[in-house]
Amino acid sequence: MNSVIDVVFSSAFLAAVLRVATPYLLAAFGGLVAERAGISNIALEGQMLSAACTGALVAGYSGSVAVGALCGVAVAVLLGLLLAALRLELGADAIIAGIGLNLLASGGTAYAVYSLLDDKGGTSGLKSGSLPTVTLPGIESIPVVGEVLSGQNMVTWLAFLAAPFVAWLFYRTRFGFRLRAVGEMPDAAASVGIPVRHVQYAGLALSGALAGLAGVFLSMGYVSFFVRDMTAGRGFIALAAVFLGGLRPWGVFLAALGFGAAEALAVQLGTMDVPPQLVSTIPYAMTLVALALYAWRRKRRGLTQETAASL
Amino acid sequence: MIGDSLIGRSMMRIGRSAALVAAGAIALTACGGSGGDENSGAAASGKPRIKLVINGGLGDKSFFDSAYEGLKKAEKDLGYELKVVELGSDRTKWEPGFEDAASADDYDILAAGTFEVTDYIGELAPQFPDKKFWLFDAPVDYTGKNGTCSNKCENVYSVTFKQNEGGYLAGFLAEKLVAEKSLKGAESLKKVGVMPGVKIPVIEDFVVGFKAGFKEAGGRNSDVLVQYVGGDKPFGDPAKGKEISTAMYGQGAALVWPVAGLSGLGTFESAVSAERYTFGVDSDQYQTLTDQAQKDTVVTSILKNVGNALYKAAQDDRKDSLKYGAVDTVGLADDAVGYVDDDHFKELVPQKTRTELQEAADKVKSGSVTVPSAF
Repeated sequence: MNSVIDVVFSSAFLAAVLRVATPYLLAAFGGLVAERAGISNIALEGQMLSAACTGALVAGYSGSVAVGALCGVAVAVLLGLLLAALRLELGADAIIAGIGLNLLASGGTAYAVYSLLDDKGGTSGLKSGSLPTVTLPGIESIPVVGEVLSGQNMVTWLAFLAAPFVAWLFYRTRFGFRLRAVGEMPDAAASVGIPVRHVQYAGLALSGALAGLAGVFLSMGYVSFFVRDMTAGRGFIALAAVFLGGLRPWGVFLAALGFGAAEALAVQLGTMDVPPQLVSTIPYAMTLVALALYAWRRKRRGLTQETAASL
Repeated sequence: MIGDSLIGRSMMRIGRSAALVAAGAIALTACGGSGGDENSGAAASGKPRIKLVINGGLGDKSFFDSAYEGLKKAEKDLGYELKVVELGSDRTKWEPGFEDAASADDYDILAAGTFEVTDYIGELAPQFPDKKFWLFDAPVDYTGKNGTCSNKCENVYSVTFKQNEGGYLAGFLAEKLVAEKSLKGAESLKKVGVMPGVKIPVIEDFVVGFKAGFKEAGGRNSDVLVQYVGGDKPFGDPAKGKEISTAMYGQGAALVWPVAGLSGLGTFESAVSAERYTFGVDSDQYQTLTDQAQKDTVVTSILKNVGNALYKAAQDDRKDSLKYGAVDTVGLADDAVGYVDDDHFKELVPQKTRTELQEAADKVKSGSVTVPSAF
């Protein structure tokens, strides 16, 4: 048991939590923005995958990591706009359109890599490099904090900055108010002159950008190449975090961070004498516990409100 | 309340999407049906036709790529015709995919691999008694006791590999390298890591062999760290592979041996940043990697030569000497399993260790040492 506690408080573990949580955080915020805009973005997985693939390919061919990352994010934004257009212009069901986009991304990326590199597995044969890490002079030398924070990828920093950014956007800006109004009740929003469609397009573009950043991190930060279907369900876990976080920025932040921590814990515990099947259930078991706690708290709050009303 | 309406809505959505999927499937079958007849009958060229059906995709740089290379060589040298069908990673498409592949009359030999398809082959082989089936890396149930192989699968040739013998040599070499402090920059470390994809017998066989070899060379079992990739894509999640390898290097592993397909690509990256070492698996990964810094971490690769075994099967079948209705088990003695002994290996591994490893291999080949197995 002692060794478990040692692991949890080690700087290597805390640094791993930040790394592992990065794609969950970014994709979850992407999902949150879309959900609050009134269009469920189930295509997070596909947007991440397309961005990861485009990023690695463009960076490999152009020789510029920055250009690759920008193109990756841009492709994810375009997919977000496509999803919005399918929903708003053609009246398609957002879930079905999202499933379609995910399938398109999975097949499309594999096809693109195969036709360009003649490799059905991924872009590991192409030198594409990764986005820079951030070293903080001064903080670096502080014992634990320095080891945890310094040397993290710049996208990890962006992921953690995304939480205050989205909170500020939702509750402090006109766009945020409009976005939430549109998502809550589009007719009412339209009646007071809010351009509903424009707001929804903008929301889905932002959602795509965040998911795209998550994808770019996978292929240009975490590792430095793209592999077919490398997102491995991370987009769907992020979607779970959106709802687990109660559709609120800081709630989503905690939920996504929790998933990251659970996965990092599973990685660290894996080498100890714990059955691997048990270790791999940790993230999912944690989800169920968190959902149960959430429901229980809500029920209790509801009960106290009722008693208050009956008095 | 919100939850209820959400569930209601998603149910409707599922209903609608199911209808769409069904419509799509009908359209696809219609297309497939019209094109299928052209290929019926014997091949125009009279060459035996092999159809390699892959439950996954090519490009894994190891297992399926090796099978494909072997059969391609058979096509070139031995006068076969080769056709490849990739079913993708979606498991729900495998069973119908195999049924379609087997019922189309455009092949003489259907080749497939991994234990996951044994039941499909066991069911299809009796339905198509005129066809031949080659199953690699797993045997069908020739007894017919679990409901498959109603004809005792007398038209199925199965070949399995003694990957535990490869694992044994990897473990033996790993312990010698840490005990003799041969690895530059990792002299003080005593531990080694193995990163298998999932805990299934054919993968566990590598691990059991590794531990046995490590112990044989004088190591302690507690110095072998084992961590499975698991999750959604155990053989295709390099990010998780990198995270796990980084953790193992952090726990003091001098080298990590990934046995996890494309997830292993993450191991080579983390070895570069940790300045430690790796072993390759299945194919010579010193050759398949492109980055020089990553290549330099690869001490050797433990080969599991699926392609050679299939090529040999193709040779024997041409001579009508391939044994159908039985399982063929090949290992170190048949050159189906082994390790890479190239210049890079000679550079990193001292002469004494190389000789000891060769002796250990000879003992396994001659049968004086029996390596434990996960089966």
